[in-house]
Amino acid sequence: MPSTLASVADSMLSETARTNALAEFRRAPGEHERPGRYWKIDLDGLEIPFEALVQGSVEISFSGELPDGVIACDLATAEREHGELLRQVFGCTEAASRKFGTLARAYLTGGAFIYIPDGVELPHLTVTHRLVGHAGVASTSVLAGNGARGTIVERIEAPAGAFVCQTSEIVTGERAEITSAAIQQLPLDARILASRGARPGRSSRIAFALADLGASLAAGSLDVTIAQPGVESRVSALFFPTSTQHVDLVTRVHHDVGDAVSRTLVKGAAAGAGQARYVGSIRIAAHAQRSDASLRDDTLLLSEHAHIDSIPALEIAANDVKAYHGATVGAIDEDERFYIETRGISRTQAERMIALGFFESVVDCFPTETLREQLREALAAKIG
Amino acid sequence: MSHSALIVADLYAEVEGKRILKGIDLRVEPGKVSALMGPNGSGKSTLAYTLAGHPKYIVESGTATLDGIDLLALSPDKRARLGLYLSFQYPAAIPGVKVANFIYAARQALRPGDLPPAKFRALLMDRLQVLDMDPSLLGRYVNDGFSGGEKKRLEVLQLAMLAPKYAILDETDSGLDVDALRAVGDSITALRADDEGRQTGFLIITHYPRILEHIRPDVVHIMLDGRIVKTGGADLADRIEREGYDTIREETTSVA
Repeated sequence: MPSTLASVADSMLSETARTNALAEFRRAPGEHERPGRYWKIDLDGLEIPFEALVQGSVEISFSGELPDGVIACDLATAEREHGELLRQVFGCTEAASRKFGTLARAYLTGGAFIYIPDGVELPHLTVTHRLVGHAGVASTSVLAGNGARGTIVERIEAPAGAFVCQTSEIVTGERAEITSAAIQQLPLDARILASRGARPGRSSRIAFALADLGASLAAGSLDVTIAQPGVESRVSALFFPTSTQHVDLVTRVHHDVGDAVSRTLVKGAAAGAGQARYVGSIRIAAHAQRSDASLRDDTLLLSEHAHIDSIPALEIAANDVKAYHGATVGAIDEDERFYIETRGISRTQAERMIALGFFESVVDCFPTETLREQLREALAAKIG
Repeated sequence: MSHSALIVADLYAEVEGKRILKGIDLRVEPGKVSALMGPNGSGKSTLAYTLAGHPKYIVESGTATLDGIDLLALSPDKRARLGLYLSFQYPAAIPGVKVANFIYAARQALRPGDLPPAKFRALLMDRLQVLDMDPSLLGRYVNDGFSGGEKKRLEVLQLAMLAPKYAILDETDSGLDVDALRAVGDSITALRADDEGRQTGFLIITHYPRILEHIRPDVVHIMLDGRIVKTGGADLADRIEREGYDTIREETTSVA
């Protein structure tokens, strides 16, 4: 993203950078505003609290062992002391040019920077962004060297009614293995607009495990750009709007070169008057031969007023590829429920079991048992 | 007055507007084995589903009681808690729910707190071994991606773990090879020798007499077109083996 790089070459926290980003934000197409019959987010109706964003600040903290050579610091320190490294990731993924990515850059007050040098393994690092005030930008930039490995978990702490703009970028060298996980459990009246992007290097493995459970509105995008052969990308996401929550999720995997594998698995359920839209995009460029891509999205509706639009978008220009898309949509299966009931388990419990089981294949993709249990408990609590 | 039996009397039932059961009378005694035989489409599975309480199977008239309690007034889970078990011909898959957790939840629902987890686990491993099943199956999702034979064995594993008062086995033998059938037979024999399962009454639904070589029936009923047309001893199953259903069909229709 050369244009983005240019705008941050000076300082990503400078007034000029912000002004440019804000101009980009105003120009950027509203990817979540898709014309047509699908439910969409009206950006005008969002009432983005620009004033509060200007005043907002976000505290960063890290928890986890830091092996020798690993850097985990705030953005200002990174800019001052590790500018060369920071510039290899900040603004270098598709996230930077997405609508909410530009908004994040315009109102950035800080953020987290993580660097894993060549050949180093970072077992498990949790980054916590804590909003001071009611609006803020949570930014995470991860740069991994050749053969670097690591698991990074992002957390956001925000008060009731908060407005969070999140951006998260990952760039790796060759043969790296990075897992990024996030469980979004913001207060039910908070809002979050997120853009994530990854640019894995040759023969690298990148895995995302994402869950949207909180907030009244959670709109997010994830772009994985495969620009090097040998990449293996795994995107696993779940969302579960209940009461009057809205979720809008877009995942895109761009196969710009061939000989790479991508797996996208999304499980979305809705209850109460929960609404969601999921757009799953797989793009295989004409020269990206021998790409192997799959997209699987399943939808479960747990109430009459719940609604989910699931929109697959497969754009395949190469001819020697494997591409799979599978989707299911529906309510709880009567025969499945009956089977469980005949084992003495009540109808309510049976439905709960089915709904929790529905998410399990994505829950299983989260990197630690602690996270998996946290997620199962949160899902169970939402089912009620 | 002793009510200890599963008793079906003059039961009529329909599925999607079509009458399938046309006056069934049947009695399953504790500790005894009744076989219900009949060709495909005679209504055997409908009887099983109707007794277990599937919402699509509508009772038009007649009664079904379990130890004197009206089954038909109860939801499927309450029927199970009274002691009724159905081994499905086509069990549903429950993605995301592990076999061990599912059986534990069922055992908890039927007999709350009767087995601490460690003892449950020991019993489960024991019953698994009798069925010649791989313990790795416990970590898989219920019936998800299971072969036909694995599904049937899982039905029997649940039967062995839940030790119900009355068990209906709906074509548990179909699709099983000789070894699997023997393992199923061994499991049921072991259950019947166990204190928990000694009093279990069985209704074995089948259209082949093969399974009955492993579990000898006390009573054999022949069902044709929604009615029980003949009742006899184990020798009746042997006769089906030799002659098929046609001669019985001819006998019963000529009488009518």
